[in-house]
Amino acid sequence: MARTLRSKLRTDCRPWRHLLAAVVLTSWSAFASAIEPQPQFERDVWPILATRCVTCHGADEPKGGLDLRTVGSMLRGGESGPALVKSDLPASLILEKIDQREMPPKGERQLSPDDIAVLRAWIAAGARAEQPDVVPPPVSGVSDRDRRFWSFRPLQTVPVPSIKQIESRRTPIDAFLLAKLEAKGLGFSSDAQATTLVRRLYLDLVGLPPEPAEIDAYLADHDPGAYERLVDRLLASPHFGERWGRHWLDVAGYVDTIGFDTDATNVMLAEGKWRYRDWVVRALNVDKPYDRFITEQLAGDELYDWRRAERFTPEIREALVATGYLRTARDLTHEDVGVIPQNFFGIMHDTLETMGTGLLGLTLNCARCHSHKFDPIPQEDYYRLMAILTPAYNPQAWRSVIPTETKTNDRAIPDVSKIEQAAIERHNAALDAQLQTLRQQLDDLRRPHPQQLFEAALAKLPEAIRQDTKGAIEAAADKRTPVQKYLVDKFGKELTPSREAIAAELNESDKASATRLEGEIAATEAGRLKWGKIQALVDVGPPPPTHLLMRGSEESPGVEVEPGFLRVLSRCEATALAAVTAPMEGTSGRRMALARWLTERDSPASALLARVAVNRVWQQIFGRGIVPTADNFGAQGQPPTHPELLEWLSARFVEGNWRVKPLIKLMVLSTAYRQTSRRDASGAPATIDAETIDPGNELLWRMRLRRLESEVVRDSILTVSGTLNRAMGGPPVAINARPDGMVVVAKERLAHPDEAMRRSIYLVTRRAYNLSLLTVFDQPLVATNCLKRDASAVPLQSLMMLNDTFIAEAAEQLVRRVEGSAATLSLAPTSPQEAIERLFRLALARLPNAAEAATCRQLVDEQTLLCRKSGASDQLATHQALVQLCQTVLNTSEFLYAE
Amino acid sequence: MENSFFANRREFLQQATWGFSGLALAHLVEQDQARAATASGGSDLRPRMGHLPARATSVIMLMQVGGPSQIDLFDPKPELQKRDGQEYSEQVETLQPGSETKKLMGSPFRFERHGNSGMEISELLPAIGSIADEICLVRSMFSDNNNHPQATRCLNTGKIFPGRPTLGSWIGYALGTENQNLPTYVVLRDPEGYNNGGTTMWENGWLPAVYRGTEIQSRGAAVLDLHPAVALPPGVQRNNLAALAKLNEERRKLYPRESELDARIRNYELAARMQTAAERVLDISGETAGMRALYGLDSPVTENFGTRCLMARRLVESGVRFIQVMVPVKSGTMAWDHHEKIKPGLEVLCPQVDHPTAGLIRDLKQRGLLDSTIVLWTGEFGRLPISQKASGRDHNRNAFSLIVAGGGFKAGHVHGRTDDFGYKSIENRVSCPDLLATILHQLGLDHDRLKYLHHGREESLTDSPVTGAKVVGELLDV
Repeated sequence: MARTLRSKLRTDCRPWRHLLAAVVLTSWSAFASAIEPQPQFERDVWPILATRCVTCHGADEPKGGLDLRTVGSMLRGGESGPALVKSDLPASLILEKIDQREMPPKGERQLSPDDIAVLRAWIAAGARAEQPDVVPPPVSGVSDRDRRFWSFRPLQTVPVPSIKQIESRRTPIDAFLLAKLEAKGLGFSSDAQATTLVRRLYLDLVGLPPEPAEIDAYLADHDPGAYERLVDRLLASPHFGERWGRHWLDVAGYVDTIGFDTDATNVMLAEGKWRYRDWVVRALNVDKPYDRFITEQLAGDELYDWRRAERFTPEIREALVATGYLRTARDLTHEDVGVIPQNFFGIMHDTLETMGTGLLGLTLNCARCHSHKFDPIPQEDYYRLMAILTPAYNPQAWRSVIPTETKTNDRAIPDVSKIEQAAIERHNAALDAQLQTLRQQLDDLRRPHPQQLFEAALAKLPEAIRQDTKGAIEAAADKRTPVQKYLVDKFGKELTPSREAIAAELNESDKASATRLEGEIAATEAGRLKWGKIQALVDVGPPPPTHLLMRGSEESPGVEVEPGFLRVLSRCEATALAAVTAPMEGTSGRRMALARWLTERDSPASALLARVAVNRVWQQIFGRGIVPTADNFGAQGQPPTHPELLEWLSARFVEGNWRVKPLIKLMVLSTAYRQTSRRDASGAPATIDAETIDPGNELLWRMRLRRLESEVVRDSILTVSGTLNRAMGGPPVAINARPDGMVVVAKERLAHPDEAMRRSIYLVTRRAYNLSLLTVFDQPLVATNCLKRDASAVPLQSLMMLNDTFIAEAAEQLVRRVEGSAATLSLAPTSPQEAIERLFRLALARLPNAAEAATCRQLVDEQTLLCRKSGASDQLATHQALVQLCQTVLNTSEFLYAE
Repeated sequence: MENSFFANRREFLQQATWGFSGLALAHLVEQDQARAATASGGSDLRPRMGHLPARATSVIMLMQVGGPSQIDLFDPKPELQKRDGQEYSEQVETLQPGSETKKLMGSPFRFERHGNSGMEISELLPAIGSIADEICLVRSMFSDNNNHPQATRCLNTGKIFPGRPTLGSWIGYALGTENQNLPTYVVLRDPEGYNNGGTTMWENGWLPAVYRGTEIQSRGAAVLDLHPAVALPPGVQRNNLAALAKLNEERRKLYPRESELDARIRNYELAARMQTAAERVLDISGETAGMRALYGLDSPVTENFGTRCLMARRLVESGVRFIQVMVPVKSGTMAWDHHEKIKPGLEVLCPQVDHPTAGLIRDLKQRGLLDSTIVLWTGEFGRLPISQKASGRDHNRNAFSLIVAGGGFKAGHVHGRTDDFGYKSIENRVSCPDLLATILHQLGLDHDRLKYLHHGREESLTDSPVTGAKVVGELLDV
């Protein structure tokens, strides 16, 4: 009976255990309380020992002669005596070694406190086993205990806590935060000033500072719903997608370049790669539900039968573009020497790393060479996931990233269907026929004249060589004698009539006909159609077998593995294997199966997917994640500061159909978000307490002061100087690495000078050599992806803001707005004070205080004097002084921060 | 020719080493307590003294990313040579595949004895060999992890985990800078690109942002945007900076204890001073032909690394505390990572760094600066005695060698020993945190007292309660 039950336990999903776990674990404290009574070796202890101890203390030459695989062998012990004494904790050596942290050895996966609690409880209760001398069957390395780790569980239902400071609660978020604050005798700081809040909101939601008129409109609106309406308006702005799309591009590790991208002067682009960037922006703007957002990126090509579609609908095209997410890894197969297995697998390893940290907050890459040392991820699970990618990144049917000398078959696919391609080709063939006719007509019109001109030119040559030269020119090029060659070299040019000479020979009516024909030719040429490319990932050929790679090397394939998922995020062994059905001919359906596994409601995988996404949104809004390690939700990551809040938000996110905009809205409507970021706001004793009790502001008793990301710094400068080009999308704007090391917009290569003023998201993004202005403000070095931006403060930033041409030009533009002009629809300021106020409102979204205004006035006076001294007229000197003031205000710390 | 910085430096040294009074000591203790008690610390760059009399004031770290092979460079193993080609019987910790046959691979290079100490160094490094009497060779290093990211972090931050401040940041935090015109922590990387690990090797972690390493270029403009793009009338920028300081100060009052804002204000002050100082310090065009030859600037092989070594010396002269010079990236972003074809690999790379390294140490010596400057030449780990893919060596965290010169480290001294095959350090083992503790000690800092309160925990570079880090007195002159 017991045996049957045990084997049943291994194959079934045992929903009752999850139920139990859910009931018991509404408290976040100790997991020990979740242990069932009567601990038992095979069920409770073996999974711990099997995964942590028996590699050394097992079958082959057990270390110290100690075999930990059965109770019998533990009682017998090893060189140091018995490892276990029933019901005697102090005498059980195994516990002593673990307690003293001798075992497992440093660097190996350690026992968790609840593992140890289980072991203790088991020994204390008499070390019961069903069969004390039989080694239990192997375990996968993932136990139900592992599945109960906080981030690996399905979403829990968490009640919104009740709090005392009801008046501070605008949203449930506030209740969760206040509950923790109140426990320490703290509360929220006061609301930030309206102007501060508006600027903060603009920077957070659209990544651009507000215009003075926009602030005025908000301040003039006394309706209680004014703030919420502003939030709605910003969430609906197309600039929202640019701001939040950039966050996702970090997570996806998107760059415009291909290859290693380690040569500053060599920028390699793949045609149409940028379309993925635009897809992301659009997806954010239409608030594509996150489950769909992920599904399209993993398996957009498996949603539609595009291979046989008559025509590509916009949906098909979008879905194919979305798979660009899986094409962000460094792909070195852009030349023949790179088309080698090492690179094929390298791309898949990088892609899995990006997916691991970005989707699940897991360092999957640690399980590439061996089972994960800290998280319950067996090596086999890693390769099961790789098997999801191998039908597309098929080592047996490799497609290079761009055409190489021998591999013309690259990964790009046309952005129209085969039928449309054929139609386009037919259309173009018809045009070619028309063109041929038109060109023929033009030739006929001109034909008599070249001959005449030729004869005329020939007549000018000395008679002695005339016939020989004519003969030489008429002879086939490869049949000419040396003499003939000489003659052609010498006289060929002057005997060939130019277009202009021919045109001049035509009579008036022929001239008109020629002009008409040339026009028709040009018009017909313009009617030629062509198709673009999509850098997609699609299955290529039949799925190849996928092997576990011993020590991570493609040169040492181990056992074959089936496509599957992480066991720890699957309810049981059975559901961890992908139930794959090919959705249509030509594709395996594996990536679709992965997308389903990730997004299936109420599953542990979708719970983690939601937690990780919600945490990142929180990180963007509040400057720090609830889980501060946004890329690691495993044992080595930091635990959540507000676990219940994360759980509640994640559940709400999923219930709200995975929509991101309402989630952001909920956060920015909270009192927590609206707080001042200043430390001495109230001067109340509570503030002083808060400084002492929570100096790092983990509990959010004030809003965090956040430095703007690199792109927002540049985009803000463009906005306040009135030069931002708000055009969206399209091929990236070229940048250029100068010999001195500075990377700037390649102005000489732009279609229009205004292109230099595009938002930063539209500049060429590289792995290392980005625009210097962006790099110095911590635009990340992209090896795989980036889950959290740095916010450094180094002197190079100061130098750049002080001295760079870009800033100087921005100041010149900004001063035009301050001085007023017809172009900016504003009048000249009536006083220096007014100019200063206008500048502050433009640059900092507020008015200066008296001290600041005085400082600025003094600066203007001093600079006017100096400029006059160096020869400027009075008017020019005043202007130049204002330029200096503008640049100085752009240099203030305040300009670089969301306060 | 002594410049004024040099003179100041002398004075400072005297005060720090010999002029130590009871009064100063009391001040230090007070300062120490104040620092440990500060929640988020200040961003003060003024020079300050440490806990102990300082022997050295600057560090030049010649970072050899990738894991140089100790067996081929610094640690001759006759037994290994004898058993070349045989199977190694001991258990081996490997990282990547290719070493399964466990075939011992002797070094293809000869070792030669150098100097009075008879220090044995590979024929690949003749120049370093020629200064054997100036250096301390540690053969018994080991690391906590055998992969690059973790091991470079272990070496630079004391632990394998990300997000911690690097040695240079700690030193800036503890001692400030003697030269108020240059950053306290300067990074000189190959202008061709970043080494693997990139900026993580000079991060400030949770220390205030002002202590992060500042990258200075060794090709083109040393510092980008050092001067205004458009020439301004004299005095204009000074006025701008004065007004800016007032505006920033006014705003900062609203954010006391926000270290980033302090850093930003100080950065502008520093930026202004750098405009006058940096160019003079970093312009090497005035160096004599003899000096250029000493650093190998006259040869395309050594010019890249040599230029940066020379710049490092000039920075030390100017009072910069910590200079990190990164190995060239021409042969790969993990230069020394010779998993395959180690023989030709070393033959290409060694000449690039050998001559400039020796030139730097010689030059510091002749200028009387070697006493107060620690020069550290090290990778993050070593390599295995068994072959990988028949021609290379996999990572080895259990043994690596490094050299350290000056700053009160013993000269002409060999410390520690590995087993007969160079697989594992077995005698007088030195961990990365031990090394860091010892360097701090020479700078007058007690690694157990140099602390920073982060997330409610007193953090330190070495975290000795966990790592067991200790100062290795045997490496030091008495």
